[in-house]
This record gives sequence, C-alpha cells and structure tokens, in this order.
Amino acid sequence: MSNNRRRFSALAVLSASALLLTGCSPELERGFLPDAAGVTNHTDRIIGLWTTSWIVLLGVGMVAWGLLAWALIVYRRRNGNTDMPQQLRYNMPIETLFTVIPLILVLGFFAFTARDMTAIEAKVENPDVYIEVIGKQWSWDFNYVDENVFESGIQAQFTGKEENIMETLPTLYLPVGKSVKIDLTSRDVIHSFWVIEFLYKKDMFPGSTNTMYFTPLKEGTYVGKCAELCGEYHSMMLFNVKVVSQAEYDRQMSLLAAKGNVGLLSTEYDRNQNLPGGDPSIRG
Amino acid sequence: MATLSELKTNPTSFAPKRSKGQIIVDWLTTTDHKKIGYLYLITSFIYFLIGGVMALVIRAQLALPGLEIVASKEQYNQLFTMHGTIMLLMFATPLFAGFANVLMPVQIGAPDVAFPRLNAIAYWLFSFGSLIAVSGFFTPQGAASFGWFAYAPLSNTTFSPGIGGDLWVFGLAMSGFGTILGGVNFITTIITMRAPGMTMWRMPIFTWNTLVTSILIIMCFPPLAAALFALGADRRLGAHIFDPENGGAMLWQHLFWFFGHPEVYIIALPFFGIVSEIFPVFSRKPIFGYKTLVYATIAIAALSMTVWAHHMYVTGQVLLPFFAFTTMLIAVPTGVKIFNWIGTMWKGSVTFETPMLWSLGFLVSFVFGGLTGVILASPALDFHLSDSYFVVAHFHYVVFGTVVFAMFAGFYFWWPKFTGKMLNERLGKIHFWLLFIGFHVTFLIQHWLGVIGMPRRYATYLPEDGFTEMNLLSTAGAAILALSMIPFLFNVWITQRNGVKTELKDPWGYGRSLEWATESPFPRHNFHSIPRIRSESPAFDLNHPEYASPEAKASYAKEGRV
Repeated sequence: MSNNRRRFSALAVLSASALLLTGCSPELERGFLPDAAGVTNHTDRIIGLWTTSWIVLLGVGMVAWGLLAWALIVYRRRNGNTDMPQQLRYNMPIETLFTVIPLILVLGFFAFTARDMTAIEAKVENPDVYIEVIGKQWSWDFNYVDENVFESGIQAQFTGKEENIMETLPTLYLPVGKSVKIDLTSRDVIHSFWVIEFLYKKDMFPGSTNTMYFTPLKEGTYVGKCAELCGEYHSMMLFNVKVVSQAEYDRQMSLLAAKGNVGLLSTEYDRNQNLPGGDPSIRG
Repeated sequence: MATLSELKTNPTSFAPKRSKGQIIVDWLTTTDHKKIGYLYLITSFIYFLIGGVMALVIRAQLALPGLEIVASKEQYNQLFTMHGTIMLLMFATPLFAGFANVLMPVQIGAPDVAFPRLNAIAYWLFSFGSLIAVSGFFTPQGAASFGWFAYAPLSNTTFSPGIGGDLWVFGLAMSGFGTILGGVNFITTIITMRAPGMTMWRMPIFTWNTLVTSILIIMCFPPLAAALFALGADRRLGAHIFDPENGGAMLWQHLFWFFGHPEVYIIALPFFGIVSEIFPVFSRKPIFGYKTLVYATIAIAALSMTVWAHHMYVTGQVLLPFFAFTTMLIAVPTGVKIFNWIGTMWKGSVTFETPMLWSLGFLVSFVFGGLTGVILASPALDFHLSDSYFVVAHFHYVVFGTVVFAMFAGFYFWWPKFTGKMLNERLGKIHFWLLFIGFHVTFLIQHWLGVIGMPRRYATYLPEDGFTEMNLLSTAGAAILALSMIPFLFNVWITQRNGVKTELKDPWGYGRSLEWATESPFPRHNFHSIPRIRSESPAFDLNHPEYASPEAKASYAKEGRV
C-alpha cells in the first residue's frame, strides 16, 4: 500500500509540474482557440465560456478516469488469489449522488450557455453597417447595402505551392468599432459563413435569409471558410475579412464604385430554378 | 492436456458429411438465428474493412496541403460520403443485428427468434440494399458524393446528377426496411419467448439494450425511409418535396436528424450492453446498480428522440434553448452508466483478459467523447465548432470508441461460444494496444485541428492555414490503426487452424448469463437443458452457488439445497 501511495504521489507531482510548465502559454489560457480575444464584441464571452466549461469538464473527467484507474490498480486480482470479492449489487445513496450531482452541473452549464447564446444572437435594431452575403458554388458575393456597391468573388485557385494566396481571395471589408448586420443567403445549395477568429458561423440557405449581428473591435485580416459541404470545390470556398479604419473602409467602397461595381447582386441566378418542373416563379 | 485431448470429440461426427455446395446452400437459405447472426457479423466486418480502407485514402489525401492522392475532389467527396454511410449503416447498425441475433435468444433461453424467416428476409434486404448503395462506385459518375446526411438541395439532381446518388437513396431505403424488420423481430422475441423464470428484471443488460435499441429502430427508421423515398421521388419523378423555396432544405434536415440522432444511440446502446456483460465477469462481481443501468438506458433512449436539432444549431432556424437543454440532460444517464461500470469494478477482483482490456479501452475513450459532447451541446460554443474537425474528433471518440472497441471486446469474449475455440490472448493484446494507440493518435489531435479552424469535408487546405503538422500526425495514427488489423486477422486464422477446442461451457470461469450455461459452440437449438433461472445471472448461480444473489439463494433454500 505504501508503495502504491509513493507511486501515486510521484504521479501527482509530475502532472502538477507539467501543468505549471505549460500553464504559462497563452494558447492554453484561451483553451487553444485561435487568438480571438477582443476581435468582436462576442469573442471574449465565448472564450470565457469555453475555458470555464473545459476546466469543469476535465475535473469531471479526472474524477471518472481517476476512479477507474484506482479500481484497476487497487482491486486487481493478485497472483494466487482465489477468493471472491463481496458481491455488492447496488448502493442507492451513491447511485442517487452520481445522478444528482451531474444534474446540478448540467443545470449550471445550461444557465451560462443560455446567457451567452442570448447575447450572441441578440438582434441589433439600428446597425451602423448593413451587409448582404450570398453564397454560391464556390465563392461569395458581398453587397454593401448602405453604399450600394458589391463585390463578386471567385473560388480560390491553388495547388498548394502558390505564394500569397490569401491576397487573391475575395475580401469582405468591415469598419472597426461599428455594429454590423449581415444577411446570409445562397443561390444554390446550403453554405455556411464561418469567420474563424470571430468564433462564429451561420448557415446560408437558398430560399431564406439568416442574419448575424456583431461589432468588430480589432483591426486585422481574418480567415473565412465555407463550413457546410456544398459540392466538389467546397474546400476552395475561402474568403478574407478585413477589419479596417472607417477611412480605409470608405476608400475601399469608393474603389468598388470606381470599378463599376455599383448596385446590389441578387439571387436571380438561383440554380434551383433548374429543378425538373422549371422556374418556381412560373409554377407560382 | 491429456484429459483435454481425451475429452476431445468431433461434434460433426454424427452428422452426414456435406459437400461444399450443400454448405453454401445451407448458409444462403438458413433461418437459424445464429447463422443469420454470423452472416450479419461477417458482412458488417467486411464493410468495416472497406470503410477503413476509404478512411486511409482520406487520411493520405489530407496528410499534406495540396496533395492529389485521389484523382479529383469529387472522388474525395464520394470517399467520405461512402465512408460515413458504410460505417454507420453497413457496419455499426448490422453489427448490432449480428450480436443481437446470435446472443439475445440464447440469453433469454429461447431456441430461435420469434420470426425466423422474417429474420432471413431482413438480412437479405440489408445485404442487397447495401450492395446497391455501394455499387455507385461502378457507375461512370461514381458513388454518391453529397455527404452521408445528403442535405437538400445538394442531393437533388441539379447538383448531384449521377446515378450513384439514386443507388444510394434506394439502396439505403431497402436496407432500412431490413433494419426495421429486424427490430420488430427482436422486440417480439424478447416479449414473447423468454424461458420460464426469465422475468424482465432478470434479463441480461445486453438483452435489455437490444430491446431498447429495437424500440428506437422502429421509431426512427420509418421517418428515414419516408424521407429517402421522398428524396427518390424528387430525383426520379420530379417531385418538389425538398425544394428550397418551400422550406425543403430545412424539412430534409429535420427528417434526417430525427432519424440520425437516435441512430447514434442505436449503434451505441447495444455496445454499452456488451461491455456491461464483460465488466462483471472479469471483476468477479455482479453489475453494479442493475436497475439504475436499465433506467439509464431507457432515459437515454427517450431523450435521444428529443435532441435531433442540436445538429442544426447553425441553421439559425431551430429553438436553441430546448435542444441545448435536452442534449445536456443526456449527459446525466450517460454519466450514471459510466459510474455504474466503475462501481462494478470497485472492490472487485479485476483481471485483464482481452475482452476486459477492450472494454476498458472503450470506457477510457468514451468518457472523453462524452465530455466533448457536452461542449458541443452548448450553442454558444457549437457556433464555432460545428462542421469542424472538432466534431469529427468528437463523434469518432463516441462512435469508434464505442462500436469498434466493444465489437472486439465482444469478439474475444464470445469467440468460444461462436466457434468453440478461444482466440489467442497474446495476439489479442498486441491487437488492442496497436489499435488503442493508433486510435488516439489519429483522433485526439483532430480536436485541436477543429478548434483552430479546419472545416470537415475539406479535400485539401492551404499551407498558410497551419494545419499541416496536426494532419500529418493524424495520418500517421491512421496507419498504426490500420496495422492493428493484421494481428486480429492472423489471430482468427491461426485460431481456426490450430486452436484447441475449449470443451467448457464457461471458459472465462465467471460468466453470468444463460449463454455460459450451454455448450461451446452453441448446439443447434441452443440448449440441451436449461438451468433453472433464479436471478439475472443464471449461469453464475449454477457454477458459484455460494456467491449467488440473495434471490437465487432463497430459491436454492426453497429446494432444500443450502
């Protein structure tokens, strides 16, 4: 027994020092999420929920794995042992305990989840910036509704050897510190609009519109990807989001206008009209 | 050894010798629940190997950015679509039917299932349906490529015109009928064919889980069949059921996940049942909290019908709080099961034969899959993680961790009952450790991949994404995983060739349910005689009367045998 105990304390010291050594890294502090702190008005909240949840869950996991390891080590059948253990069948107090405690944990987790998802999904009544994004196989159309300009993206072209491929991707510009409303829709199959460092995605459905609200708080270039299988070149449906100063944003808008990208794109090229039976508008 | 070889008899010596042709006809026309069960087990294991090879190609393609291991991204999409379809519907689900067919009738002391011919029809519907679904690979445009959940409108003919899609839809519909009929058969058998004394509260946990799983099947496979026929009508007859402009895209997702989530439990519960049979035997204690475990299973099944839209949080069109709450609630009965299993080992006398090793491998992996499941239940976190490799990692921990580990646990455990010979323990342990290490190397790292932003179902990625090292590690793990099949296949072969017949009804020594009270391998009608059933552990009561349950001891006392 004392031998066992020595082994256990050695293990405990080892794992504690491992935790201390890695504890300094910022990756661990944000639970290995991308460096998203302060990127939008929602990301800090998500990182907080993520790390707290993991601490509690790993605690629960450690209890389960620890009890299991204890049972396997301490109650292993020794060589030459021929007798039988006590044939314990149930123990209501303990069984009640391991039903009620998880239930309490779950209720707590739900409360925090409910609080945070309500905040993330909250509607913003008068957003500063109103954008429409239309997904298409396999790129993105961006409508800057307030400025009445648009950008029509094409799918990423790469074989894995190009330099600066990120520069060639379609880019959505957003002014920093302004509240944003984005309407999401599609003109063929379902896509999903995922900006990784925003820690948020939402699906784009043909025939209906989804909306997301947020305020970008930190200037920078962020990676965006389609997250719902949309056909052969799903993995080429990439984009950038550039959060820039208001002056730079205005400059980009006038550049688009100068290029002749005036007006807004619509879903009139929706390929679902090609379904057998023809144009749905004719069908009524 | 001398006594063993003296005892050795040839079980077929009294039967007339049969030609190869007669044996084949016998297997093709059999209505014996055990043979049909073996057909299910063999067929599903072959599909496991096929699906596994597809996974290896997928992992090879992702090892480095920009690779072109497969000729086109369309082919890559076919590979992961069919990998998912095969593993869920041609491996895991029929594997349940296999174990349930072979074992459940023996565990309740019945000579066969209630409807033996329906049983055969169910197998052949599954078998031909699956062949039809995978035959898409032999058509010019290839197999279905719209993902195993076939979201509309990607799965209609505008976006997926190939005949492979039609074969997938109608093949799965056909195979689904086999599964439904199998479920009906199992329920009827358990309700009507239990031996005298085998009350519901004396059924082994595996039989309980077979019952609950079968009830889930008849609740959720019919909606899938309806959805598949509707999709088939859209594709072949120009119906407009899943048109986006009348909400068809969401309708499909609801119908699919109304099947799809309970399906996850259909392939989990029976395998929980398998490990629930194994832990007591190698801990030399009865299962801890038998009734709690049964109620937990029923609670999981009931809740699993109410959580389907947690696959659809990011659609922005479902009631988030309801589905988040019910999903989180499932953690409670699942946790109860985990603690019951640990309680079974607690203060026991634990040994580590291969079936136990595999069951422990399941438990260690499944706990982690459960934790990530709780994370994903929270919409606030799922918005980031949905459709990323975090989800891929999560469901491989729960599904691979459950089905594959418990399958091998069951194989090593019941092999002497199937064939009369014990698999080699040493090879079994090599097999276990290779697979355990390979599994965790492959899938643990995928959690990190998903968290830093790798979406699932991407045929390739950019060097700038920073996914390369993690993908390379995952691919290396997959190679170890694949290697682990070699000791197993060798083990099966060498045991068949050189293995010694056990001659023992219960070669593990502490078997509890009825299958350990009959000969190995099973006789034609399962029992020559059935011991009196005095508790939920009739074989154990018989072989270890001094350690029998109070219930059984009271019964012995009544007979004046104390």
